[in-house]
This record gives sequence, C-alpha cells and structure tokens, in this order.
Amino acid sequence: MFKKLLAAIKKEALILLRDRVGLAILFLMPMILIFVMTLIQDSAFKTLNEKGIPVLFVDDDKDSLGVDIERGLRKSELCSFHDSINGKPATADIVKQAVADGKFLVGIVVPKGATKAIKKNVAWLVQQTLSVDSVSEKSKHLKFDSVEIAIYIDPITKKSFINSVTSSLHEFISNIKTKIMFRSFSSELDALIPDKKPTPDNVFGQTQIIKYKEEYASKSIGEIVPNAVQHNVPAWTIFAMFFIVLPLAGSMVKEKNEGSIFRLHTMPSSFLILINGKIIVYVFVCLIQFVLMLSVGLVFLPMLGLPTLIMGQSLAGIIIITIATSFAATGYGVMVGTIATTEQQGAIVGSLSILLLSAIGGVWVPTYVMPEVMRNISVVSPLNWSLEGFYDLFLRNGTVSTIIPQAIKLIVFFFITMAVASFVNRMKRKI
Amino acid sequence: MNTDAIIEIKNLVKSFKGSSSPAVNDVSFTISRNEIFGLLGPNGAGKTTTISILCGLFPPTRGHVLIDGKDLNGDLDTIKQIVGVVPQDLALYPTLTARENLSFYGHMYGLSGKTLKDKISMWLDNFGLTEAANRRVSTFSGGMKRRVNLIAGILHSPKILFLDEPTVGVDVQSRNVIIEYLKQLNQTGTTIIYTSHHMDEAEHFCTQVAIIDHGKIIIEGSPKKLISDNAGCENLESVFLKLTNRALRD
Repeated sequence: MFKKLLAAIKKEALILLRDRVGLAILFLMPMILIFVMTLIQDSAFKTLNEKGIPVLFVDDDKDSLGVDIERGLRKSELCSFHDSINGKPATADIVKQAVADGKFLVGIVVPKGATKAIKKNVAWLVQQTLSVDSVSEKSKHLKFDSVEIAIYIDPITKKSFINSVTSSLHEFISNIKTKIMFRSFSSELDALIPDKKPTPDNVFGQTQIIKYKEEYASKSIGEIVPNAVQHNVPAWTIFAMFFIVLPLAGSMVKEKNEGSIFRLHTMPSSFLILINGKIIVYVFVCLIQFVLMLSVGLVFLPMLGLPTLIMGQSLAGIIIITIATSFAATGYGVMVGTIATTEQQGAIVGSLSILLLSAIGGVWVPTYVMPEVMRNISVVSPLNWSLEGFYDLFLRNGTVSTIIPQAIKLIVFFFITMAVASFVNRMKRKI
Repeated sequence: MNTDAIIEIKNLVKSFKGSSSPAVNDVSFTISRNEIFGLLGPNGAGKTTTISILCGLFPPTRGHVLIDGKDLNGDLDTIKQIVGVVPQDLALYPTLTARENLSFYGHMYGLSGKTLKDKISMWLDNFGLTEAANRRVSTFSGGMKRRVNLIAGILHSPKILFLDEPTVGVDVQSRNVIIEYLKQLNQTGTTIIYTSHHMDEAEHFCTQVAIIDHGKIIIEGSPKKLISDNAGCENLESVFLKLTNRALRD
C-alpha cells in the first residue's frame, strides 16, 4: 500500500515538474501579483501618508493666524506644503484654479485682516460678556464680523477623505483661532483689571487640556501597522494556493480523457491511493508557495523600499493555518477535477470560481473597506477564512487558539469537497 | 460451474440511463482457459461495454459473471489481481518516459523492486523499446505508444488479458510484433479476450470468436467453423458482413 502511494506521489510530482506552464501559474504568477499589487497600493498609501497631501497655501493675512497656520502646515506630516507654483507666489485665484486642475488636493486661503478681525471679535465678545462701564473705550464701537478661511478641495477626492482632511484643518485652525482669542481676551482683561498680573504670552501653547493617543488594537504587546505588504502578501499567497485548482483539475481531467483513469479503475489499487498521491503533492506545492511568498514579503519587497512583512508571534499558528489552507485548496481542486469533463471546463470553472471567491473573500480589496452587504457575503469564501486567520496572526498578534476556528472551517471544507468528489465519482461510474 | 471455463457470462444486461435499448442485451457465453477469444462487432454493438463490465469498470444492470470461479459482484478485488487490461485509448502519461509509465502501472499492480525493474527491462527489450525507454512517451510514434500501452497491461503476468483493439492505428510491423507476442503470452497460459475491427487479424489470431450486434451475441465458434457454416463465405469478414449486414452504423 505504502509503495503504491509512493509511486502515485512520484508520478504526480514528475508530471507537475515537467509542466512548465503549470509551474509558472503556481509560482511565478503569484510572486508577480504580490510585487505589482503591493507596489500599486503602497504608492497610493505613500502619497497620502509619507509625502503627504499636496496643499497650496496663500497667506493674505500676514499676521498671527496666517503665520501660525503656515507654520503648522509646514510641520505636519499629513501635508506637503506649497505656497507657489513654478516659482510664482500663489494668489487666491491661482489656488482655486490649481485645485480645480487637480494639481493640488487642497488649497487654503487666509484672507487679509483675518487676525485683526478675530481680535476685534474677541473685544466685542468681552464687551458683551462683561457688560460693564469700565470696558475700554476702543471696544465700545466694535461689532462682530466672521472670519472666512477658504478651503478648496479637488472634486475627485473621495468624500470620506475630504471629511477627514477638512476636520483636521478645522481643528487645527480652530486651535490657532482660540489661541488668538485667548491672547486678545487676556489683554482685554488686563486692561479691565489694572492690578492683575499680566498673562504670560506662551501659557496657551503650553497647555493641552485633552490628549489623544491613537494606536492599532492588537491582542498582545507590540504594534503591527497594517500596510500594503501586511495585506497583499498573505492575500495573494492564499490566492496562489487556491489557484492550484488549475493544474490539479487539469491533470485529473487529462487522466480521465487519456484513459489512465479507465486503466487505474481496472487495477487492484484503491482509487483513493491515486487521489492521496495528488493531495500530498499539491499540499506540498502549497507549502512551497507559502514559503516563497513569505520570502517575497520578508526579503524582496524591502529591497524595493517597501515595508517588511511582520508575521506576528505564533509560528505554530502560521503552520496550522497554512496547512489547513493547503488542504482546503487541494480538496477544492480535486472536486473541480472530478466534476469537470473537459480540460477547458476545469480551467474555466476553476479560475472563475477562484477569482470570484477571492474577490468576495477580500483578497483584491480588504473586507473592511467593503460595504456591509459584501462583508456579510465574504464569510462564505474559504479564502476569507484563511485570510482572517493570517490577519489574526500578522496584524492582531493572534495565537494558535485565535486561528483554530478558521483552521477548523478550512479542514471541514476539505472533507466536504472530498465527499462531493467521491460522490460524483461514484455517480459517474454507476451510469 | 464449468471447470475448464475461465469466464462464464449468464444473461448479462447493461442499460444506460437515457438510452432506449440496452447496450448489452441478455448475453451469455463461456470462454475456456488458454483461449484467444475474439469479440467482434460493428461500432456500437456492445463489445466495449461487455469488456468494461468484465474488467469491473462498471456493474451490469442484470446477469451473472464468473471469472476464474469468482463472482464479479463479490470478488472484484481478487479478480483485478489476475486480470490485465489494454484499453483502446493510449492510457499513458505523455510527459513521463516509457520506463516511468511502466514503473507507475507496475506498482499499481503490486509489483516493486528488482522484480518490477527486471520485468520492465525484459518487456521493453522484447518490444524493441530499450533505446527509447528513457524518452518521454509524447515523443513516440503511434506504434511505439501502442507497444508501451500493451506492456502496461501485461507487466504483472495476468491470467486473463483484455485487449480492446490493441492494434488500431499502428503500422504492419508493429502489428506483427504485437500479435506475435500475444500468441507467445497465450502459450504461457494467458487467456486473451480481444476486440477488433480487423477481421483478417481476428481470423488468424483467435481460436474462438463471438459476433455481437445490437447488444446480442448472434454467432459463436471457431473462425474456421463460422466460415464453413456460412455458405458462400470465404473468410471471417464475409461472415461478419453477412450476419451484421452492410448498412453503415455510425
């Protein structure tokens, strides 16, 4: 029995090794996909996070508000600051046009006299608040006058992105405005109360009443930042593992059509030996694929200046989920190969179903950016179970116990596909 | 039970789903040990279906089959040990060499080690394939493929050998080699059950023939007897045409 199994494994391995197109599909295609997809997604990511959002700024105020906003924008990692185009200083009209042309994502214009207007407003507020006779003479003739800072946004920018940028800008400008108001209010009070010790000029800048700390939640110590590499390496590795359906189903259909299966059915060997030979070889192929794809994430992507793949802390978890995924992918290949009657049928059904299951499962676009309906549908895809398992390990620092439910689902899927394949095979032989 | 018989078939019926008439319809015949038995018939007559049932590829709808005294329904695993099959299709892996193909099939028949290696070498030599043994089968001519296909079915020295048109599409030289070795195999005690469209080949090769048409055996006997029993027929082909008529079947 063991010798028969070894012979079946040897036969399958030799056939696979001599199928250059099959090998290219299994190893080269997913490596290229990882490179391409990661570079594409990472460059988009870099535009917004490393280079920053291109902002064109005009300071017509030339006073505290304008100077503070400019200083803040120049310091911010979120922005790439510009105040001129082709060496020419920007004006309000140029800003509007440049953003409309898509040269800048955001344009900001601080109008002339904005700081003075804020100071005037504060004086008016003090007058209204205190309503005392002793209010300074100069404040008596004041009235409230809103300051309007113009923010122009490229219309093709996504709504959620506009919201996040404008809210950050609003917060930042409102901080500066409050600072100016506080200074003005202090000077008004100093004038009202002659005995009062003058308020130090920098007191507001030193006082931060509420602090925010933003972190990615993970289940143990250590922070793993989600990025294009952390998503694309496991996602496309799973895709590649499931893509073995093509050579596997193809080889099964060929055996049927070329008569080898006919001969094997007449031999004193269990059909299971032949199938087990295939499963062992293709599970091994999946494991090699996994190691290769990991090496892309650990070695080759960093060479291109991309982040290094961080694999979390549970090697046992990685091994378990990888083996479970390999069996699920192989079982699916055996099922498609059993059902298909022609090579074309196997190739079309196999590739389309994997493309569909990968799209649903979050390989192309992560499920967390999908609409809720699609997120609910994604749970039917075995590629999603596997991807969630790798997310647990790579992003959430999960352990073996964290990924056990996903691994069980994948193994159950393997047994279901084998049961279906066995049933279809029996039905076909009954005719 | 006839002790001289190696295969006994009684009232064998095989109906396929969706087909209006059975492919094999109440067929009964006996094949004696060491016979070269030719099952002849036009396309769609039921030859391959009958052979497929005897090989255990699919079960009959009705009827009984005894092979070497064992019931096909109950002792299929034991029967498979003593049966060799050479299918009409070239059941070989094109990207494997001749030796790799034979090694795989030999293992599936339970052979291994030196015994298997020696048998492979012997048969490759007998069929003039030693030099091509390590070449991929995809590079072989039709005749060479047929010879490898035949070796794969006889590596384990079966008691009974089923051959489904073993010489189809091969040149005269290859056909002669194949027929000669099958005769030698028969002389060493292997019963051969064979289907073919080559009436001339069957006439000279078979010791017994049965002509099947529309799923029924219409005549059975030695080629000589069939020719002499049918007045005006000079050879097996004219007997065949007389009994199955000249109308095209497909």
